[in-house]
Amino acid sequence: MAEPILAGVAESELGETPDRNWLDNAAIATVRALEDAGCSLADVDGVAVAGGDDYMPALVLSEYLDLDEPSFLEGTEIGGSSFEHFCGHVRDAMTRGEADVVVVAYGSTSKTGPGRDRSLEETHPVDGFVRPTGLFRPPGAYAMAARRHMHEYGTTEEQLAEIAVATREWASMNPKAAQQEPITVDDVLESRQIAEPFNLLDCCLVSDGGGAVVLVSEEKAAELGVPEIAVAGVASTSTHRQDISEMPDMTTTGAAVTGPKAFAQAGITHDDVDVAEIYDSFTYTALVTLEDLGFCETGAGGEFVAGGTTAPGGELPMNTQGGGLSYCHPGHFGVFVLIEAARQLRGDYTGERQVDGAEIAVAHGTGGLLSSSSTVVLRREA
Amino acid sequence: MSAPVEDRREEWDGPVPVPTGATVPFWAGTLEGELRYQECDCGNRQLYPRAVCTACGAEDPPFEDSEGVGTIYTYTVCHVPGEPGFGDRVPYVVGAIDLAEGPRLLALLDAEPTDLEIGSSVAVTFWRLSDEAAMPVFVPA
Repeated sequence: MAEPILAGVAESELGETPDRNWLDNAAIATVRALEDAGCSLADVDGVAVAGGDDYMPALVLSEYLDLDEPSFLEGTEIGGSSFEHFCGHVRDAMTRGEADVVVVAYGSTSKTGPGRDRSLEETHPVDGFVRPTGLFRPPGAYAMAARRHMHEYGTTEEQLAEIAVATREWASMNPKAAQQEPITVDDVLESRQIAEPFNLLDCCLVSDGGGAVVLVSEEKAAELGVPEIAVAGVASTSTHRQDISEMPDMTTTGAAVTGPKAFAQAGITHDDVDVAEIYDSFTYTALVTLEDLGFCETGAGGEFVAGGTTAPGGELPMNTQGGGLSYCHPGHFGVFVLIEAARQLRGDYTGERQVDGAEIAVAHGTGGLLSSSSTVVLRREA
Repeated sequence: MSAPVEDRREEWDGPVPVPTGATVPFWAGTLEGELRYQECDCGNRQLYPRAVCTACGAEDPPFEDSEGVGTIYTYTVCHVPGEPGFGDRVPYVVGAIDLAEGPRLLALLDAEPTDLEIGSSVAVTFWRLSDEAAMPVFVPA
């Protein structure tokens, strides 16, 4: 099986982009990622794109970039983990020799763009069982899951807050991060209540912006002379969609399935992981994913993250760009998870921001309301 | 059983369910104070209503009336309104209710947060939101 090489990564402007739409941001991130990879739009023979709330997004982006008969088109929308999910399809296409340069892109105007409210007449009938309850989604749905985890395992709000604190410490070293001021556990606990047990600082940001990664075949990577950051394992699954009550067990996610699969493909265990980029839509998202990926026992996530385990200098560097909690979160964060994993493996940073000698990274996406899970293992070839 | 149905049509500003397809018998039941779930001939019980049984694939599994009681699997207290019409209601409680018959249902809990905990017993009542549908709302039992 082919191992696609992650040859280039980039963001568009992040934060507020009132003069851009989702497509502008996706396209800007795309051309920048191509430049990072040392190639150009003319080399692109495939696109994979999610989000944007647009009909036929892969066609929209292909047309916008004026691509010449791309051979690979992918627009499967499984929320924030779509981009990790795409890596598997790109691997399949490259294994068949159908694509050499594929752009995985995302753009959004979650912060300044128009809302996406649709009436219940226009949506899935299942929404009639969800929206009239008034549940504030996504935070309330994740909060219900966190509450159940606290009930079953004794996880505390303080332990959840530790994730926000450690993540902010990483953000303080990232000039692109929206929130860089250090915070304490008390700051998290005293921030505004959103949906119990979550306070404001348990919740990700809402941002505009786009991101893109360029995946190339091994042959193309050799031609470009880029550092070989290989997609060594990929797996995806889902447990439910928009109704959190359909989630079979709110204390464990699909990551418990995708983690072992992706790790086995890559021939690694969690002990081999040097840096973890884990979708943190909420503090609980990261906590339960750490458990599900096997970094600690089920239910022990609270103890695991206490004391700065995931902070700079900790045992498991996690969300080293500041995560969705402090860096940016334009709706679907999955593409940014891949971007940072690649940068760490390339050794793009200096000082404490760089995880020394990182060779194996896990990039994990979560979509919907803990609904979809996709794990990618990236390995830097010697 | 038949639970109370309170008419909230005048004051309700929130989203209103639209009965379609497999959900029509469910919403019809709510107007009569009945909480219905699907129970297939194979024994599988499910909510929300679907055109197929998720266990055996049988089409249009029949509906049964629930006793309308259950326990709280988990809940949250929303301090930010999640839908139009909920602004004056904060803080309010939304939970996942395990019905005694098995299916789990997302629902508004009409109760003080301090009166609730995971595992608490609750019973259904209904708020009539339109000519076509009443919403199941649970209260401490």
